Amino acid sequence: MTELEKNDSDIQQDLPDLDTSPIPLLEKIRKEGRVWDDLCEQYGVDNPDPPWKVSLDSTCEVLAEDNCALSVLERRWEEDELSEDIYDDVPFPERQLLALAHSMIRRGLMDEDELASRMEAVNRRLNMV
Amino acid sequence: MSKSHHAEKATGIGDPQCFKGEAGPPKFKVGDKVRIKDLPDIFYTRCQMYTRGTPATVAEIVYESPAAEDEAWDNTEQVEWFYSLVFKQRDLWPEYPDAYTNDTVETELSERWLEPA
Amino acid sequence: MAEKHKPAPMVDEVSEFEILELAVRELAIEKGLFSADDHRRWSEYMETVGPLPAARLVAKAWLDPEFKKLAVSDGVKASLEVGIDWINDMPSNFGTPSDYCNLRVLEDTPKLKHVVVCTLCSCYPRPILGQSPEWYRTPNYRRRIVRWPRQVLAEFGLQLPEDVEVRVEDSNQKSRFIVLPMRPEGTDGWTEEQLTEIVTRDCLIGVAMPHPDRKADDMRPVHPAVNPVKHP
Repeated sequence: MTELEKNDSDIQQDLPDLDTSPIPLLEKIRKEGRVWDDLCEQYGVDNPDPPWKVSLDSTCEVLAEDNCALSVLERRWEEDELSEDIYDDVPFPERQLLALAHSMIRRGLMDEDELASRMEAVNRRLNMV
Repeated sequence: MSKSHHAEKATGIGDPQCFKGEAGPPKFKVGDKVRIKDLPDIFYTRCQMYTRGTPATVAEIVYESPAAEDEAWDNTEQVEWFYSLVFKQRDLWPEYPDAYTNDTVETELSERWLEPA
Repeated sequence: MAEKHKPAPMVDEVSEFEILELAVRELAIEKGLFSADDHRRWSEYMETVGPLPAARLVAKAWLDPEFKKLAVSDGVKASLEVGIDWINDMPSNFGTPSDYCNLRVLEDTPKLKHVVVCTLCSCYPRPILGQSPEWYRTPNYRRRIVRWPRQVLAEFGLQLPEDVEVRVEDSNQKSRFIVLPMRPEGTDGWTEEQLTEIVTRDCLIGVAMPHPDRKADDMRPVHPAVNPVKHP
């Protein structure tokens, strides 16, 4: 590490190496999903946050409560790493959401296949007219 | 931290208020010069790397609580005093510009992290 | 004749992200990671928080020296006077697990300017200030403000004399912080409402100073630092 890099890492302690290798399901969402900024522009809406933002923040909060499946510190550190790595081109809060899903899958709290199926089911439900 | 354990103790009282009176006498007082210990690295810590080994002044004695390092693993038996500490920027970063000689950082640490300077 | 109001524009499609959020939540509840009730209580609570109570606390402190003393010595008690109960309003009835119950109000003076950060994870005084802005959460802000505060503040448009003590407050434990900035010139005779209006969220974090002509924060585009560590 160069002197400069060493100094920067003083701000944050050494963490166990996070597996930041991409998860195919999340990569697909990252590439194909429409982010709120784009939707706002298309529909002429000026709400700064998508409608699911509060719910996402609540999920992050309650995951750290109760059985503490995922603590705030760990989730945020992983979010930081992923945000500077594979999700660095994703705006906020989509980036926070992808990082959360990534952390949960890597921790074995849910697996990619069941998440994919659940997304299909939700999609059918929400798009039923 | 498991909710059920904590809730009984803190409901209607608040956290860290619920730990009041459990730490015994504080080891340091306002104005004391201390140095931050570099305790062995463990995964979960709230003592920032940049403070390790640096001198500071106790600005305030803030509250009693289990140390974050214990609380993360649900060990809440040992309660410590928490202090608000002021560091001079020039002590933290050797290259901090001389022109801003009064600049400081303030942060809170529990008693286990402090030794007299 | 009454004007016919067009319905407000709405986003008329469901994004993959919306679906992902819901799918994650449903699976988490089914697996017992948390309960639907707890999630709902949290969401309801989060909808209620915003920066106005903190702004009002500052305005009151500017107008009443006794209240200012209370604010600086007991932030939780002072919060009650702007309608915020750090202990009992919370879904848990003992404070929120991420925000706790120890508000500290940091009083700026002509020789001392505070600015707040949480280098570890972006802790923020949500009960009285609402949800944190994106820029506050970024490693770019968190890593640089503690080490190069003057540089970062200049990027926010704030420059301070060399002899002023710039104090970075790193909220790493259970306290949460708001800044009580200096009352600006040109506000003599103002009411509490008028003063509240100029205490913006950025002023309460400490990256801006209140001004009689400014009632809103500037938009802060978030961009990665071009040279993250190297500074003149």
